[in-house]
Amino acid sequence: MINLIKMNLYRMMNATSTKVLAIVSALFGLMQFGILKLIADDPFNIMGSMASEMGFDSVTASTLVSNFLRSSNFLIIVAVFVVLFANAEQKCGFDKNIIGITKHRWLHPLSRFIAAVIGVTALMAITGIIGIGCSALFVNAFTFGSATAFVKTLGLTYLGTVALAGVFFFFTTAFRSAAGGVVPSLVICTGILYMIEQLLDLLVKKVAGSPKLLPTDLFLDAKFLNFNMDSGMTACLILAAVCVGYLVFSVGGSMLLTQKRDVK
Amino acid sequence: MMDYILTTNALTKKFGSYKASNEVSIHVQRGDIYGLIGRNGAGKTTLMKMIGGLTHPTSGSFEITGKNGEKTEKMMPKVGILIEAPGLYPNMTAMQNLKTKAIALGIKDESYLQGLLKEVGLENTGKKKAKQFSLGMKQRLGIAMALVNQPELLILDEPINGLDPQGIAEMRQILHHLCNDRGITILISSHILDELSKVATRYGIIHEGKLLEEASKEELFARCSERLELKTNDITKTLEVLNSMGFSKIEVKDDTINIYERLNEGGQITVALAKENIMTNEIALKSDALEDYYFQLTGGQSND
Repeated sequence: MINLIKMNLYRMMNATSTKVLAIVSALFGLMQFGILKLIADDPFNIMGSMASEMGFDSVTASTLVSNFLRSSNFLIIVAVFVVLFANAEQKCGFDKNIIGITKHRWLHPLSRFIAAVIGVTALMAITGIIGIGCSALFVNAFTFGSATAFVKTLGLTYLGTVALAGVFFFFTTAFRSAAGGVVPSLVICTGILYMIEQLLDLLVKKVAGSPKLLPTDLFLDAKFLNFNMDSGMTACLILAAVCVGYLVFSVGGSMLLTQKRDVK
Repeated sequence: MMDYILTTNALTKKFGSYKASNEVSIHVQRGDIYGLIGRNGAGKTTLMKMIGGLTHPTSGSFEITGKNGEKTEKMMPKVGILIEAPGLYPNMTAMQNLKTKAIALGIKDESYLQGLLKEVGLENTGKKKAKQFSLGMKQRLGIAMALVNQPELLILDEPINGLDPQGIAEMRQILHHLCNDRGITILISSHILDELSKVATRYGIIHEGKLLEEASKEELFARCSERLELKTNDITKTLEVLNSMGFSKIEVKDDTINIYERLNEGGQITVALAKENIMTNEIALKSDALEDYYFQLTGGQSND
């Protein structure tokens, strides 16, 4: 298992897509920082009262994590990375070299996903260090804020991103193609799925009145991307539980599919 | 007792109602280069994928070095495979590709990997990426990949497909080296019968998912070699006459008697038969190429 993870990390380090996406993540962090600097400090007074309207009067570490890393744009980077990484072995047929000699096939998707999570963590760190670090250093309105809020926001953001990475990973494994992985992943990241979920909410409300549970409560993207980080502990625990649930089902599903299916 | 490294027992793979492999039982002896002969879609790749652990059999089983069931799984690291196109990362060098598999197996010795590259003639590829390799180079790297886990059994599916004559000759050399010098047993498939006949020591002929025949090189070539084809009005009596004349390498097929020895004695045979009032309808010297024999066996037609 450890050797398989090492193998996946080795090929990740040698893949062009990893290097490109690391650069994209760095640029994304810089871009986010640039926008924030423009809005929050507004040195040329071009934004008027926009900064205070957007809540940038005081910029804390937790709001930066929430805005930079818990965004649709960053999720697109994560989705592209996970899909390309997960699909590479199937695309070039490399798994034919090793899958037959491994006792448990399900170790392959599991090790691949663990390596992908390490990659996602690295991308988050690049964006975070560059974007949040620069903002902390150069945005006048920055104050660190509550350490508890920072840890809570970072923890939930990380968990939610990893859970969504699991979902992207599952799509790629199930469809056995980059296109099959990218299309549903982008449907999630771009908010198209969220629109569908809202329509479903309306339909449910129309049929059942005001039920306790709505479709948006069950979908990870809706729950994660629209979560209010100021919510209480119970709401945070529910989100964490949903993330873990999605993670278990998507990675477990990928493992089951790989174990049962023939290698093409 | 035969030392079989691989035996399959009625190995079957169904895709829906279609049987890609239909109760195939092959027997590969240690040290063999076992050639699986069959046209495209005959079931060679499916059979190899099952043995290589890539495809789950629908029914049947296989044994590696006499171990079956869960024990077979333990022997799988002793199997190297190159099935269809070699599975290589196109943006990696030959060494990086080998290293990727080596890491998965916990092998750290880079000089061992360098040795493998030398064995397949790719030691000087340096930083050239696999996507820039010729087909022959990719196939050779595919073999090196299959050798990383030091296999006792190497499964090669159509490794000479698409290669130019030089590439084919190099591949032949590699196969002989692996079998003779390293003692690796090879199961190789091809539909290029002429080429296969230059390397294989034992053959299995597979058609429409079924194993039609298994034979050693000598047996198969005897069947393909020159023979006297004799047709008479009484097969039983003719066989008695031939026996009395000391012929032993005789085979009866339908209404024809094939004689594989003393091929210049056609005249004497006719005279001897005439003395016993047996009428000779036809006697002729015939020979088959391996290809003809294959077509004869599978009921297909040559392209000639």
